[in-house]
Amino acid sequence: MLLAVLQGASELFPVSSLGHTVLVPAMLHWNFDRSDPTFLAYVVALHLGTAIALVVFYRSDWVRIVRALGASVVRGTLSNDADERIGWLLVVGTVPVAIIGVFLEKPVRQFFGSSAIVAGFLILNAFVMFAGEWLRRRSLAAAGGAAVVPLRDFTWGDGARVGFSQAAALFPGISRSGSSIVAGLLLHLSHEDAARYSFLLATPVIVAASVLEIPKLFEAGAHSVLMQAIVGGILAAITAYASVAFLTRWFHSHDLRPFGWYCLIVGTIALGLALAKVIT
Amino acid sequence: MKPLPIALAVICFVIGALYLAGVLQLGVSHSELGKHHLGHASLFAALGVLALVWGRFSSAPTTRRP
Repeated sequence: MLLAVLQGASELFPVSSLGHTVLVPAMLHWNFDRSDPTFLAYVVALHLGTAIALVVFYRSDWVRIVRALGASVVRGTLSNDADERIGWLLVVGTVPVAIIGVFLEKPVRQFFGSSAIVAGFLILNAFVMFAGEWLRRRSLAAAGGAAVVPLRDFTWGDGARVGFSQAAALFPGISRSGSSIVAGLLLHLSHEDAARYSFLLATPVIVAASVLEIPKLFEAGAHSVLMQAIVGGILAAITAYASVAFLTRWFHSHDLRPFGWYCLIVGTIALGLALAKVIT
Repeated sequence: MKPLPIALAVICFVIGALYLAGVLQLGVSHSELGKHHLGHASLFAALGVLALVWGRFSSAPTTRRP
């Protein structure tokens, strides 16, 4: 159940869910076989729960975006409609991370799976957020505070750049939402719009990854944890929904620095434990 | 519809089908060799659909380029 809450929360908070699912079990000395069908089925249920929560939270946005995209394809032209623009920006931002993710996800994660490396990346994640906030404040000061661009005025190149930035999350310890929010901020979005674009961008990726994993729920041996998987999925969905609701309010008036401090502290402790061979 | 997007879409769909059938193993991690690759197949299917969308846009008379 703790794993479900951890997954639901850390998937959307800019603190790296993958890093946490490596570090927390290591710190708590949970010994489970990550290739076991029962564990894989449980993880699939958690991912599905998170995906459903994101879709439900942004349901009205998605209905408008999908309608606008459909109308645009039928017409064969682009219009000035804000939902249509955001929809195509999401397509432009999703393609690069989908290509990179499909080809590089497994090799990268196999290579960078140890606790010490993950802790190092978590510290790096903190500095990425600190640097992003610092560069943004500097650019706002230079422009006299007039440098904020609304999401509907984002260029296609900007959309693709934010999409590319998500690929950094292939490294366990680097947060997908953290890197994409920082990229959005550096391209002059407000915190609110950067977070909204990041969460909307995350939805197709998380949904597609979850749907592709569904067959694992029906593998031999997986049915023995079906009830636990369903409860875990529901718990992950509730936590993810609460997280995205909290974060969208948070970014009205706050920035990424508290999450940076969190990553720096947890990463430093985990790195210390890993170097002292307390965790592996 | 112009021929280039259609050709691209066909290539993407064929590559996707080859990954799905387990014939194509390019860019697949060692532990996954010899299996069917639903993720790769879905990616190329999606790229094929996007190529067709591009074709639809490029053939429309009043297209405004992004």
